[in-house]
Amino acid sequence: MKPNDKELMERYIYQVIRRLPKAQKDEVRMELEELISDMYTDKGSMEEVLTQLGDPADFAKQYQNGQSCLIGPEYFETYLWFIKVVLICTAVSILAVSFIHAFSQASVFAPQNGATVLIRGIGEGLTDGISNMLISCISAFGAVTLIFAIMERRKIKVEMKKAEKWSVEKLEDQKKTADLRWTPGFLEPVPDKKAIISRGDSIVGIVFIVIFSVLLIFAPGFFSAIFNEQTVPVFNLDQWDRILPVFVFSLMAGLVDEILRLVTGCYCKLVMISNMICGAIQIVSSVVVLKILPIWNPDFTDEIQTLLGDRAESAGKFFSLWNWELVSNGLLVLIVLITLSEIGVTVYKTVCYGVPAKDR
Amino acid sequence: MGEEKDLLSSLLLELRRGMLTISVLSQMKEPKYGYALVQRLEEKGVAIDPNTLYPLLRRLESQGLLKSKWETGGAKPRKYYQRTEYGTEIYEQLKIYWKDLSAGIDRLLREGEV
Repeated sequence: MKPNDKELMERYIYQVIRRLPKAQKDEVRMELEELISDMYTDKGSMEEVLTQLGDPADFAKQYQNGQSCLIGPEYFETYLWFIKVVLICTAVSILAVSFIHAFSQASVFAPQNGATVLIRGIGEGLTDGISNMLISCISAFGAVTLIFAIMERRKIKVEMKKAEKWSVEKLEDQKKTADLRWTPGFLEPVPDKKAIISRGDSIVGIVFIVIFSVLLIFAPGFFSAIFNEQTVPVFNLDQWDRILPVFVFSLMAGLVDEILRLVTGCYCKLVMISNMICGAIQIVSSVVVLKILPIWNPDFTDEIQTLLGDRAESAGKFFSLWNWELVSNGLLVLIVLITLSEIGVTVYKTVCYGVPAKDR
Repeated sequence: MGEEKDLLSSLLLELRRGMLTISVLSQMKEPKYGYALVQRLEEKGVAIDPNTLYPLLRRLESQGLLKSKWETGGAKPRKYYQRTEYGTEIYEQLKIYWKDLSAGIDRLLREGEV
């Protein structure tokens, strides 16, 4: 082989192996040296040989074995709707929190002028909100994509393991694998139309829970009464560290329940049990939050009366009747009623429509 | 026109993919090195590009159908591939399936001609 031809060969081989995983490089280099020199002996011209082999990038692609997608078709549909839900939750909650922060800061800078507060709040809320929203959405997109990409890689490994097992078992015992095979017996009955849980409802539920959680965690001051452009928080922010975890725990239970509904897609025993457990958790944590923990701002009425100043007297009668105990009890009754009715609906739909006719 | 060509070549690629596996397996009872296999297949009328064959040989090896060995005794090192026992077993099954399939397709195509 002429030195010039050898040089060409080495260049070609380099262009192929630089695109391959490290573990394959040495072996493929030797293979290609063998192949190209065989072809050269056969054809007598390095140019002709390399032209026949074609673009080294294409050659390398053949070695890469088709694993060239981040998220394959099997996961893609799930990935799409999952990312939609995550992006909506992120965008809306970040926008809301940004607006609240902007408004509270604007009212600190210009407490006297309502119009200024409004304009400043909207302006800063929009600019901060949009930039924060973009950054958070990009991060959320990256995180979700990463998780699915990992799942995709894992799945490939799991499937390869399965394929190996299958072939070994097949050699040993034909019957064993037959038992694992899909049969029409695996088919689940088509759910009754009335048993189908709409995806939209679940997504709205999830978005609402996430927004509420984000507000409670990052902007508890949002829940305030506004007098004379000043805010009086409804919640006891001094004790917030103790109250928040119970709130969040209860909301997370709700979130798990909603996600389960979304994934299952119809009323069934699993959804019913999850709904009952979640309802129980929510009732218990409501009792804890409303009756045991000091959730309400103890100085609420005093602060409002100070703010009202001159007009305080006329409102005084109303505030003398203000009773957090009553508010707590009222809310508790409301929450228990709502939760029980939700469980009732779930149980009713599961029993009437969610169980296949022959099992009833 | 270009699209039509692309479509045809991608369809041909699909058609050839499985066929090449069985063609290669058929020749691997005795150990052979890559380029000898290229020439052999070409002689028999099943041409395969070396840039398809070499990656295919590696794939079949990783699937346990072939085994390989470097011979360093000669003028230059050569990698010899040979069917494993498992490879032979799979090949025999593929052969039966292929014969049925090609007979069936033959009938289908001849029907169209008449």
